Amino acid sequence: MAGVMNRLWVQFLPLMEERVAILEAVAAALAEGALTPDQRLEASGEAHKLAGVLGTFGLSEGTLLAREAEVGLSGEPETGPSAARLAEIGAQLRTMLADRKP
Amino acid sequence: MQHRILIIDDEDDIREVAALSLETVAGWEVMVANSGAQGLARASVYKPDAILLDVMMPGMDGPTTFRELQKNPETAHIPVLLLTAKVQASDKARFADLDVKAVLVKPFDPMTLSAQIAGVLGWE
Repeated sequence: MAGVMNRLWVQFLPLMEERVAILEAVAAALAEGALTPDQRLEASGEAHKLAGVLGTFGLSEGTLLAREAEVGLSGEPETGPSAARLAEIGAQLRTMLADRKP
Repeated sequence: MQHRILIIDDEDDIREVAALSLETVAGWEVMVANSGAQGLARASVYKPDAILLDVMMPGMDGPTTFRELQKNPETAHIPVLLLTAKVQASDKARFADLDVKAVLVKPFDPMTLSAQIAGVLGWE
């Protein structure tokens, strides 16, 4: 099963990186005060997908971070995560993806 | 015993990990669908022993798909397990209204997913 999981990791890594890039873009838009409701909704959905899959590949901490982003982005903008926190989550997720070896 | 499972999930990565997990670890026969509509069609034709159904999908979501499965005499008897990354209390309450066999939480452990399903369904 480990071999299968490693093959799937390699196959789906670009998709996971795309999802992290969306979170990073949202953090940047939030910092500039230019985040639209549609972007926010999309990012919440992408964070949801990351939360669902990262732990499956052994990255439980990644699931927690992605879930934090998902919950924050799905609530009211006033109570959501700061741009700095979102950027931090994006950076941490990117590092996790890069550090996990197949 | 070889069981037949239908996985309905719009997320390619989750769908494929789950499918290969059940095939590799448990040796079950797996069919997949990437939407609620496709899942309904495949369930009707394939008549699986159980269905693993994602909750959040674009278009027809998991609960709606489940209700449609229940309406069809050909699929109403098939046990359904929901699969979700939603773990907030309000979500759990929403699922409690559905007559599903279980709600499994993402992320799942690919090594134990089949045992979880087998345990819920009383499969040896």
